[in-house]
Amino acid sequence: MTVPTPNIDNDNRAFWEGVDEGKFLLARCGVCGSWYWPISYCRQAHPAAPFMGDLSWVEGSGRGAVFAFNVHHVALEGWLADRIPYVNAIIELDEGPMFGTNVVDCPTGEVRVGMPVRIVIRDVDGVKLPLAVPAPAGA
Amino acid sequence: MTDLAIVGMGMLTGTQAGRSMRSILAEASRLAIEDAGIDRSQVTAAVEVRSAAGRGGRAGSSDAFPRLLGLPVDFYQPIGRGGTGGAFAVAIAGMLIDRGIANYVVIAGGSLDYSESKRAKSSSGAKGTVRIEPEGYWGRPFGDLRAVSHHSFFASRHMHEYGTTSRHLGLIATQLRDWALLNPQARYYGRPLTLEQYEAEDYLVYPYRRDDVCVMTDGAVAMVVTGADRARDSEHPVSVRGIGFGEAMAQLWWEKRNYTSLAVQNAKQQAFGQAGITLDDIDCVQFYDCFTGEVLLQLEDYGWAGKGEGGAFLESTRIGPGGTLPVNTGGGLMSAYHFGDLTGFSEALLQLRGQATGRQLENCGTALVTGHGGEVLNPGMCSAHSTVVLSTE
Repeated sequence: MTVPTPNIDNDNRAFWEGVDEGKFLLARCGVCGSWYWPISYCRQAHPAAPFMGDLSWVEGSGRGAVFAFNVHHVALEGWLADRIPYVNAIIELDEGPMFGTNVVDCPTGEVRVGMPVRIVIRDVDGVKLPLAVPAPAGA
Repeated sequence: MTDLAIVGMGMLTGTQAGRSMRSILAEASRLAIEDAGIDRSQVTAAVEVRSAAGRGGRAGSSDAFPRLLGLPVDFYQPIGRGGTGGAFAVAIAGMLIDRGIANYVVIAGGSLDYSESKRAKSSSGAKGTVRIEPEGYWGRPFGDLRAVSHHSFFASRHMHEYGTTSRHLGLIATQLRDWALLNPQARYYGRPLTLEQYEAEDYLVYPYRRDDVCVMTDGAVAMVVTGADRARDSEHPVSVRGIGFGEAMAQLWWEKRNYTSLAVQNAKQQAFGQAGITLDDIDCVQFYDCFTGEVLLQLEDYGWAGKGEGGAFLESTRIGPGGTLPVNTGGGLMSAYHFGDLTGFSEALLQLRGQATGRQLENCGTALVTGHGGEVLNPGMCSAHSTVVLSTE
C-alpha cells in the first residue's frame, strides 16, 4: 500500500526538502536564536522584523524525549493494515519545540513518556520521513 | 446589547440514509420555526453550522437549506470550525438582532456521518473515526489521520502528569451511557455499559478504547433565536445569559500546559461574567464530549475539580443519573448523537423547558453548554473553546 505524502505548503517546504536531503531542520529566530517547529513568529519580546522575524531553517540536534504518545491498534485507513500497532507521539526536542512523529524500533508496549529519543530520517515505502527511535542516555 | 433568547428547537435523530444535508437541515428548521410559534416568513437570517465551512464549495453554499425551505433570508452564512459552531452562530444571531438586520435567526447543523460511513465501506468502521479533514496534511504519512490520532495525547499526558487511570476514563464513559439508557433517541439506548465491560474492551488508540470515543450518527438540530422583547410572546423561551470564547492556537506547541487543559479560562470568564453566575448556579452541564478526556479536562478547567484531580473527583462525585453533577444528560456525543455543540444545546433546551422525558432533572433553571473545536489535526488539536450559559429566567 502507498504511504501518503505530507501536505507540503510554502511554510513547511524547506523542512521537507531538508528531510529529503537527510536533514532534520528547525526554524530559528534570527534575532535571539530561539527554536521553533512548526514555523512561528518568535514568542520572545523583541521586534519581529524583517519579515517573519528573520527566521531561518537550521539543522536541529534531533534529540528529545517522548512528551505524549498513543498506540494505534486499528488501521484507520487501508494502507496502515501492515503497520498496526504503531506509536504516534509528540517529541519534546532538546531545543524546546514539539514534533509529532512515530516512535519506531521499540515494542509499542515499552514506549513511555519521558523516554529519550532521537530523530532519524528513514525511507518508508519511497517517502522519506523523520521518525523517532529510542536513544538511551549517553548513546 | 439586546438580550437574546432561544424560542424554538427542532431535532431529527436516527438514520437519515438517502437524504441530503440541506434537506435534513431544512426539516429541523421547519420543526424549530413551528416550535417557536412563528411563520417561516418571519425568519430573515440563517446560519448553517458545519464541521468545516469550506465543505461543498460555492455551489453547496448557494443551494442551501434556506432555499429549499423557502426562507426569505437577507443573510445566510455557513460557518464551521469544529464543535464551537453553535455558540458562534448564537453570537452572530446577536449581532444581526442588535443591528436590526433580522428579528428571527434560524441556526441549523447536522450530520450524515453514520449513513455515509455505511455507504463508504472502505473506512475501517471503527466507531467515531470518520475522516474529518478532507485534505491531507503533513501528519498523514505518520498515520495521524483522525481526531483520535492526536486528541488521545490529552489523556496520555494527563495520565502521566497526574496519575489518571483508565478506570477514571471508564467512569465517564459508563455514566454518560447511563444517561443514554434514559433517552430513546440515543444511539446507545438499550445498550448498557458497565465498568467491567469497559475495562475489558480492546484499545482502539491507546489510551482510548472504543467507548472513549464519540458516536457517529445522522440527524440535525435547529434553533430559532430572537431578542428578549419578542421572546416574551413565545411558549417556552430560554434566555442566552452569557457567551464566551477561548482559543489556544497561539500557544499550541509552545506553551506545553495545553496538553492537559482546554482554552476554557477566558471563555468561562466572559460567559459567567455576562450571566453573573458561579459554578454553584449551574443545574445541568452539557460538555462537548468528543472523547472521555475532554470531559475530564473540562471538569478541572471549569473548576469543579482542581487541575489534575479530575480522576479523584469522579471517584467521589456521580455525573450520571441521580448524581450531584448531572453531565450530558441525554448521553452526549459519547453515547447519544453527534451534532457538534448543537447536541449540548438541544439537551440543555429540553431540560430547561421541562421536556427531557425520562431523564428530566428537577429544578433545572440554568444550564452550561460548552464547545470544543478548531482544526482536527496535529498540532491544531481543536484549540477553540466556547461557553454558553442558558437559563429559564
